[in-house]
Parts: sequence; structure tokens; C-alpha cells
Amino acid sequence: MAINAPTAGGTAALATAGREPSRAAQIWKSFSRRKVALAALVVLLLIVLACLLAPWVAPYGPNDGAVTDRLKEVGSAGHVLGTDEQGRDILSRILYGGRLSLLSGVLPVLLASVIGGGLGVAAGYFGGWTNTIIMRALDIVFSFPAILLAIGISAALGPGISNIIISATVVFIPPIARIAESAAKEVRKEEFIEAAKTSGAGAGLIVRSHVLRNIFGKIFVFSTSQIGVCLMVASGLSFLGLGVSPPTPEWGFMLNNLKQLIFVNPVVTIVPGIFIFLTSLSLNLVSDALSDALELKR
Amino acid sequence: MASFVLKRLALMIPTLLGVSIIVFLMLKIVPGDPVNSIVPPDASEAERAAVRAQLGLDKPMIAQYGIWLGRVVQGNLGDSVTRRLPVTEMLLPALKNTVILTAAAAVTAFIIALVVGVYSAYYPNSRIAALFNGLSLASIGLPNFWAALILIGIFSVTLGWLPSSGMNTAGSSGTGDLIKHLVLPTAATALSSVGIMTRMVRSTVSGILKQDFIFALQAKGVRRWTILRHVLRNGMPTILNVTGLQFGALLASSVLVETVFSWPGIGQVIYQAIGQRDFPVVQAGVLVIAIAFVLLNLIVDAVHAAMDPRVRHA
Repeated sequence: MAINAPTAGGTAALATAGREPSRAAQIWKSFSRRKVALAALVVLLLIVLACLLAPWVAPYGPNDGAVTDRLKEVGSAGHVLGTDEQGRDILSRILYGGRLSLLSGVLPVLLASVIGGGLGVAAGYFGGWTNTIIMRALDIVFSFPAILLAIGISAALGPGISNIIISATVVFIPPIARIAESAAKEVRKEEFIEAAKTSGAGAGLIVRSHVLRNIFGKIFVFSTSQIGVCLMVASGLSFLGLGVSPPTPEWGFMLNNLKQLIFVNPVVTIVPGIFIFLTSLSLNLVSDALSDALELKR
Repeated sequence: MASFVLKRLALMIPTLLGVSIIVFLMLKIVPGDPVNSIVPPDASEAERAAVRAQLGLDKPMIAQYGIWLGRVVQGNLGDSVTRRLPVTEMLLPALKNTVILTAAAAVTAFIIALVVGVYSAYYPNSRIAALFNGLSLASIGLPNFWAALILIGIFSVTLGWLPSSGMNTAGSSGTGDLIKHLVLPTAATALSSVGIMTRMVRSTVSGILKQDFIFALQAKGVRRWTILRHVLRNGMPTILNVTGLQFGALLASSVLVETVFSWPGIGQVIYQAIGQRDFPVVQAGVLVIAIAFVLLNLIVDAVHAAMDPRVRHA
């Protein structure tokens, strides 16, 4: 129940946001005043679109390679970003590979927002023993350096993108739960909660229609800021060989594979990382501006 | 001071227990029955049960954890599956190398963050401060294993100034040689924390610069460098604390950086073990780094307390 609640509340909050166009417009106005954030948003959309449309946009198939095309430099005719040791087009592999990379950056944060948000709201709203048990358990996970914990879980489950997504989810639950908990604690003190209780509303109804609605924005902004971090964690795991198996393209594992070519073709080796960097930097800039824009409203 | 350290040591025990529980649970989520890797496929149910009992797998989870923890406390972290060696024999020499790399990275990040952060706080509107601000923001989105590849591409491949792998050139063991090998891995590891640390230093120092005692010193005509000393004395506990918190990030990122530079530390051991599906080694490596993280935080807290009486007597 607690785990399902945020989804229901989340859609409710989105629905209400839709009914108040003035608020969305205000947020957009404040956001678009930041030129850097706007540029970051454009870069982000371009990368996401190009990856989603890979079959139509990419010049070659991800695994098409000819021996005669091996180790082409960046800027070669027909291979803008060069080719790897099997003659496969790097740009095409990056576009196809971006789908898994982006998925492993977004999905864990989404899952962790639902689970961590649910745990945090339960802990913050009900307080007492519920709070102590949930938050202490999460503190244990927190005492681990994040990437290290993800490496441990991923290695235990065995290689695979789905296992990377599971381990990254575990890592992002505690920080999101902490945000949700402190936000829920604050809302609980508000008078309208007291009013709802006196009018006989049950805990489930109060959490859904009052608590979640009020803290959704906070969780949303924080979660957005974690996507870039998650992309780096996930591609790091993949770089260690915990993700896809060849020949599937994916940004982190492409870097791992290309690193043996660094003395032959250093520029090509570095290329897939540019996409990880640009994506996570743009995400950070966008979420920074978004949090300021939402702050102005309050 | 001694009582403070003792109190912190006592507080460390639940944290270490928590860490051990998580590392123990990692072993439990390994898919498949561990008995299968030991008995032949045609083994009878009785033989399987015997092996199960021998491994203690027939006992309840809590008891299994107790047995495992008892072994770990005595320094027995199990054996490597592929090399048939006690894991500790592989990890202890590697731990020393990881500590060297992490310490070098921490000192480097600390010095850069201090200089850049203080400068940006003193001259917040200067162009250089804006440039530093952009750079530190960018460094937060920079994957360190990628930074490592770029550094090799520039300084080893193109310029040929620095070695790209290992800790020593074969046949030589001088300190100069070690330092040469240390430069690039240190830079790559430090990069992942230097941005966050610079921002912390800047906000701490600019907070202090707004306080009344600074105005008082300025009004008295105290020299700039003397004022800076007062600022640093006040800000240092907070700054050191932030550095301490970054140790975890530095240790964890050294795992990734080591694999790029073939630095013979725990990260390299973990990476090879992942490739060989040697999970006991991965598990022990994760445990060792997590414990190192907890201990380093204790040291930072003790230094913090030694410098700041407010913490000591809290």
C-alpha cells in the first residue's frame, strides 16, 4: 500500500498541475530565463531523441562492421566518429547504445522514487517506531559509499543491465527516502492536516490527497537531480563488465572495450564518454534551474 | 579528547555491524544453490544434505550470519574460488596501494579546493571565479573512468610524459618512479570530488566573510593575510569534515580509476574477480573498502574535534 501510494498521488499531483496552466507557465518563465539551462535542455532532448530514433538516424546498424573499415579516425568519410577494432561505426553504436544507457540512468531513479518516496512518507507521516525502523535500516545502506554498494550487489546478482538497474535502485532509495521523510514531517505539522483528521479522514486519504500532493514537487526535483548521478553509476558498473555482454552496444561498456585501443586511436576511445558527460552535465544544469524555478513559486 | 575518541569508537560498532549485514546479504542474493558448485551433478540428496550441513547452510539465516561474522572478525574472509588462496592474502597488499592512491587524491583535491574555493569566495564577481564555478560544475558530471582515459590519451599517448599503467617501471622501485606513476591516477581520482569540495569551501568561506568579527578586524586595520588566517581557522573544521565525507567517494572512485591504470589496488583485484566470477573476492574487497571508509571518517572526526572545542564538548 505504502509503496503504491506515491504513484497514485503522483498522477493526482500531475493532474492538478494540468488544471493550473498559470503555474506551469510561471515555472517555465523562470526556467527559460537561464540561457545555460535552456541550452542544456536542448542538448538533452537532442541526445534522447537521436537515441530513441536510432534505427532511422544512425548511418549503420550497431553490429555492422567490415574488416576493411577497421580503426578509422574521427572525421573519416562515412564514419564521422570513427570505427572500432571490428570496423563498426562508433556513432551508430553510440546512438543504439544510448537507449540502454539512458534507461539505466532513468529507471533506477524512477523505481527508487516510488519505493524511497513511499518509505520516506510512511516514516515521516507516521513517526514513532515506524520512523525509527525505516530510517535506521536506510542509514545502514547510507554508511556505504554508493558506487561500492552498487558494485557489490551487481556482482552478486551477476552481469546484466537488469541487475545494474536493481543495484542502482537500491543505492538511490535512501537519499530519496530522506528527502521524502523530512518533507512529510513538515507537512504533518500543517493545520490542514489537523483539519482533515478532525473531519474524520483516514490516514490513507490524508496521505494521498494532502501529504503527497504537497511534497511531490520536492521529491520530483531531487529525483531529477539524481538521474545524472545514476547514469554515471550505471555506466561505471557497465565499464567494470557488470552490464551488457558483447556485441550489445552500451556507453560504459563501449569505453571498456575501446580502452585497449587508446595507444592506437586515442580520440575514438574517448568519444562514447563525451555522451555520458554531456548527458549528465545537461541533466544537472536542467535540474538545478528547475529547482530554482519551483523555489520561486513557493 | 580521549573520551571523545572512545565515544566515537563505540558509535562505530553499530555502523560496522550494519556494513557487515549488507555484505553478508550480498552473498545470499547470489543466484543458484551454492551446493551445486561443490557436489557433482549426479550427487544424491543425502550427499547434498551432508555438504549443506558442512557449509552451515542448513542453519537459520541469523546463525549463518553469526558464524560468518565470527570468521570475519578473526580475519578469515574466505578463499578465492579461482586462485584457491585466502582472500586476505590478495587484499592486504592491494589495500596499501589503494590507500596510497586515495590519500594522494584526497590531499590534491583538498589543496585545489582550498585555493580555488577561498579565491572564489574573496572575489565572487571576478571572471576567474566564474570560470572556476563552471569548471567545478562540469567536474560533477564527469565520470572519473572517462577522465582517466582522457588523461592517458593526452599525457601518455600524445605527449609521452607520464606512464599509463602500473605502479613501477619493471626493474626500478624508486620513489621518483612511483610518483611518476601516481600522477595520472591521482588526478583522475581527485577530479570526482574536487568540484563538490570547491563549492563547499567557497560557501563556507563566504559565510565567514560576512560575519561581524571580520568587519571588526578590517575596521582595526588588520592586514589582509592576517585576516585570511582568521578566516581559515574558523572555516577549517567544516572544510575538513567535508573532505572526510568525500573520502568515501574517493575510495569508491579509485576502484574504477585503478582498473584503467592497472594500479595494483583493491579496485583492480575486484575488477579481475568480476571477470572471473570470483564472488568471495568481490565481497571481501567491498567489505575492506567499506571498513576503511568508516575508519577514515573516525580519524577525520578526531582531527575535527582536536581543532574545534565546540565539537569536542558537544
